[in-house]
This record gives sequence, structure tokens and C-alpha cells, in this order.
Amino acid sequence: MGKTLFEKIWESHIVVEKQNEPDLIYIDRHLVHEVTSPQAFDGLRMNNRKVRRPDLTIATMDHNVPTTDRSLPMLDETSSIQIKTLENNCKDFGIKLFDINSPNQGIVHVIGPQLGITLPGSTIVCGDSHTSTHGAFGALALGIGTSEVEHVLASQTLWLEKPKTFEVRVEGKRKNTHAVTAKDIILSIIKNIGTAGGTGTVIEYRGEGISDLSMDQRMTICNMSIEGGARAGLIAPDEKTFDYLRNREYTPKNYESLVDSWRDDLKTDSDATFDKQFILDINDITPQVSWGTNPGMTCDVDEPIPSPDEFSNGDPNQKKGAEKALEYMDLKPGTMIEDIKIDRVFIGSCTNARLEDLIEASKIIQGQKVASNVSAMVVPGSQMVKKQAEEMGLDKIFTDANFEWREAGCSMCLGMNPDILSPGERCASTSNRNFEGRQGNGGRTHLVSPVMAAAAAINGHFVDVRKLDLN
Amino acid sequence: MRGNIIKYPRDNIDTDVIIPGQYLKVHDYAELATHAMEGLDPDFHSKVKEGDFILSGKNFGCGSSREHAPIALSHCGVKAILALSFARIFYRNSVDGAFLLPIEIDQDAYDGISEGDEIDIDISKNEIKNITKNQTYKMKPFSEIIGKIIAAGGLFKYKPDQD
Repeated sequence: MGKTLFEKIWESHIVVEKQNEPDLIYIDRHLVHEVTSPQAFDGLRMNNRKVRRPDLTIATMDHNVPTTDRSLPMLDETSSIQIKTLENNCKDFGIKLFDINSPNQGIVHVIGPQLGITLPGSTIVCGDSHTSTHGAFGALALGIGTSEVEHVLASQTLWLEKPKTFEVRVEGKRKNTHAVTAKDIILSIIKNIGTAGGTGTVIEYRGEGISDLSMDQRMTICNMSIEGGARAGLIAPDEKTFDYLRNREYTPKNYESLVDSWRDDLKTDSDATFDKQFILDINDITPQVSWGTNPGMTCDVDEPIPSPDEFSNGDPNQKKGAEKALEYMDLKPGTMIEDIKIDRVFIGSCTNARLEDLIEASKIIQGQKVASNVSAMVVPGSQMVKKQAEEMGLDKIFTDANFEWREAGCSMCLGMNPDILSPGERCASTSNRNFEGRQGNGGRTHLVSPVMAAAAAINGHFVDVRKLDLN
Repeated sequence: MRGNIIKYPRDNIDTDVIIPGQYLKVHDYAELATHAMEGLDPDFHSKVKEGDFILSGKNFGCGSSREHAPIALSHCGVKAILALSFARIFYRNSVDGAFLLPIEIDQDAYDGISEGDEIDIDISKNEIKNITKNQTYKMKPFSEIIGKIIAAGGLFKYKPDQD
């Protein structure tokens, strides 16, 4: 019987395999950031261990870095200590670090692909749940906790339970590819399978609706696999993948011969079977807007907010969850999405802060002004994205419209730096999580695509971007 | 293992409410513990006692991979989470650092156990006894792998069986 892409990558990385034991899996790349690594390095020191493969370990700082002028001293002392700690750890253990002043600094999941560090068929881990992003390149990319970070630093391996396989097939063609985006596809998938739908599985996204996407868009899809509960998301590499990674700063020297073997090997066999399957037809999908406090609580832009009864289908906990979510979000069932007014707009995060996201959003912004009741910011995913955008003049389009144009980092996606919502503020956000308090205590998050966020900024409320001329 | 239940009857309790992002810069675990569950229940720290268990619904611990979540709970004295299901990173983090036991329960246990009930968990028998109500429920056995990591006392103490 044939094998899935996941099974092929898994099997090619097994170091130790025994009946009724976890598999010991070799890790090809380990990405490290300032928040989930300090205790791991402390653990190494305590046990007199070295980093096994510093050459396969790459670090940057993204979670708590300020996105304002970096020539000024950092005001937050605890963040400053965490950043300094990562610098010291990288120096002590011989790890390559893209620090706060590096032109390669950025969100770890944005810089990995941009630098050619993320490679098809490889295993990648990082102490961050959105490591799933790298699956867009046909890499098996897992988010791990700090104990596992320490284990990988020490041994370049991990004991893992083999996940099950889940095929998510995306069929059809979007009618308006500027208005209906990769973000809308993944939010639709999560809305349908639920936030635990992928638990214990690795999703492989397949079908015409996926192969049509650019690499930036595929990363948006794989990024949010974790929001559907999956361990990882994968897309088989194709010519778009190989073209993207060609001639990057860290692309391997023997790249073309690698591509030849990837072309043959890195695909699911036609007779392979998956443990689970879900099919999404995207011919008629609309822009998506989350209304609740998890990414599964999402509806079409032209729908009213559902009542807890409608949402829950008779499940009492789902009903209670929807009631609590509506209370937290200060929303009423039946309210049309386009009638929801917003206070803040955040275009950023490892989900939607790559160059293409900024280009698409800028088309909506050009020649317009942010609504007077809204404050809006763009936080590019990396300093490289920022530079490329500036070379194209995008920064001017955003700042002319009264958007703030910031330095790269995770920023308001998770509220670890000063970029947070105030209690009660409502935000149209291109990030990945609308959990209570995620963007700041009491803040209210609506997950949307970059074009939806941009249109909301201009209008002061959500707008169905299919009505706009985006070409 | 005996303790009292703190019940959060809802699904999808995420690691952002277990320990909000702003505290991920806190390295002192005792201080971290004072902020556990702050995003969901600001009274948690004052009511939790050494040896307590948390009971909740589906997909407990979803979201961010922060190991600070099981660390914060364990440093409040929480010894186990009983839930209908767990998100996988939280589940692994809980056992990797030997912070607390993630115990999957069925609907009977979920419905039967109330806030404050005294519970006895026997992982050798995969059994949960409700002392307060004199009821017994089954827990889902740990997979062999997870059982071995728990028995070893965490990921760094685990060694595969010798041939």
C-alpha cells in the first residue's frame, strides 16, 4: 500500500524504532526564540550538556521585542532581560542569532522560509505552536514545549508518538481571489472541523484550491493548522515551492540535486489512505470573520452572528461557550457582521504579515484614510518583509492613510510587548487567535484576512470586500 | 492520589487564559503561579489548594505551546487535570516536565463530578473514585508511551526499554 507524504518524512527520520515505544525522531532544524528557551538553556547548564548541533539551530527574537524605534532603550525591563538572556545563551552555546538589530530579524516562522532554512522533506521544531507554518514547504514542522526544546538542544532528537493522518481536500476555484483569501479558506476549514477536529493528526492540505495558492498563502493555511487542533499541517512541495527557496541566503549549495529528489519523493502515493478526511468546496466561499473567542466561532461576512442554540447543535458545553463568548465580545445574535464597529486594526503576525499580505492590504488603503474612530497599525513579519515593502513604497501608502508602520515582531498577536488592546477595545486582526485576553486583558479580537482588516480600518466597521474593486 | 475538584464546565480552555502572555517573561515559578487561570477566573489563586484537581471539557490546553501553563498550575498545587480531551502540546508538556497528570475522562465522570467533590485517582487501575458521592468512573488509560514517561518522572528521565 502507498504512503502519505507525512509517513514518508516520518519514516526517513526515525533514529530508534521499537514495538510499543515512541519513535525517536531526528530533527533537521531547530528554531529558537526568547520566550520558550531560557529554561531549556538553564537545563543544559545544570546538567553540563552542550548543544548537540549548533549548526542546525537558529535563533531570533520576536515575541516581546518592541516594534517602535529600536535605537531607543527598551522600556520594559523584563523583556529586555529575556532578550539579553537569549543573546548570552546563543553566545555561550555557539548558536547563530538574528538579534534585534539584524536585517534578518523577524517572526521566526517568517524568517525561516525567507532565509532558505525551511526545506522540503525536513523535520523542523520550535518552541512555538505556529511552527506548523513551515509545513507549507512540505516540511514536518512541530510546535513543542520547553522540555522538548531542551531535549532537542541536547540530542537533536525527540521521542514522539506517531500522529494519525488527516486529508483536508480543498476543491474548486475562488470567484474573487483578491477578496477571498487563504485566511478565509483556513478559517472555513476550522469552522467546519472544529478547534479539536485535527487533534492527534498531521493534516495534509491537498486539491486544486491549495495548489492554486502562492507560497505566502500556503503558509497562512498551514500556520493555523494548530487552531484546528492538529500537530502539524503539510502541503506537498511543487515548482512554486522550489522556486521560492532558490537562491535564498541559506539555501543549500546542492539545491538543484535536492530538488530533483524532492520532486520524485515528496508526495503522497496515489494508493495511500488517510485516517480521516474533510473536503471543502471553495467555489462559493466568502470572506470570514470570527465573532467569538476561539477560531471555530467564525461566520461568513454576509451572515448574522448565530445564536448559541444555532451554533451549538445541541451540545450544552458548546452552547455555554457561545453564550460566554458573546458576553465577552459584547455582541448579540442576529447582528450582521458589517454592522460591527471596530476601534483598532492590526495587520501582522506569523499568519498574515508577509509581503503579499501587505501588498493586498495596500490596494484597499491606497488613497484612503483610516476612519477617525480607528487606530491602525502594520507590523511586517520580518525586517526583510519591511524592507521589501518599503522598496515598493507600501509604507508610504499605509502611513499616508494614517496607519502606523512598525518594526518586525509578533506584536499585538499575543500582547507580550506594549502593543496591546485596552479593555473593551474591538480589533480587526489578521492574527490567529481570538482567545479572551489574547491581545490584551479585556480586548476583543475578530480574526480576518489582511484585505478585510484594511477595509475595516477605512470604514470603521467590517465591510464585505467582495463589493470593492480590488484589481 | 486524592484531592478536591475545581470544575470549569466548558470546552477549549486555552493556554492564554491559563497563563496570559504578559507573564511569559516571569521566570520565578512561585510568582508565575499567582497568575494561573487569571484570564478565566481571577479568584483561582485564592481558592486553589495543594493537591487539587481541575475538571473541564474538551480540548483543554489548546493554543500556545507555552510550558508555563502546566508549570503555573502545578506550582499552585494542582496535581491533575481531568478533561474530556486535551490539546496535544499541553498534554505532552504536562508529562514531559512531570508537572501534572492529564487525565482523559468520559462523559459519566464529567457529568457526575461536581465542584468541591473529593476524588481519588488510581492510575494503576485506571479508576477514579468520587469519595463525596460514592461513585466510580473509568479514566482513559495512558498510551504506553505516555505511561512510561510518567513512570520515569519526565522526558529527561525516560529511557527506552533495553533489548
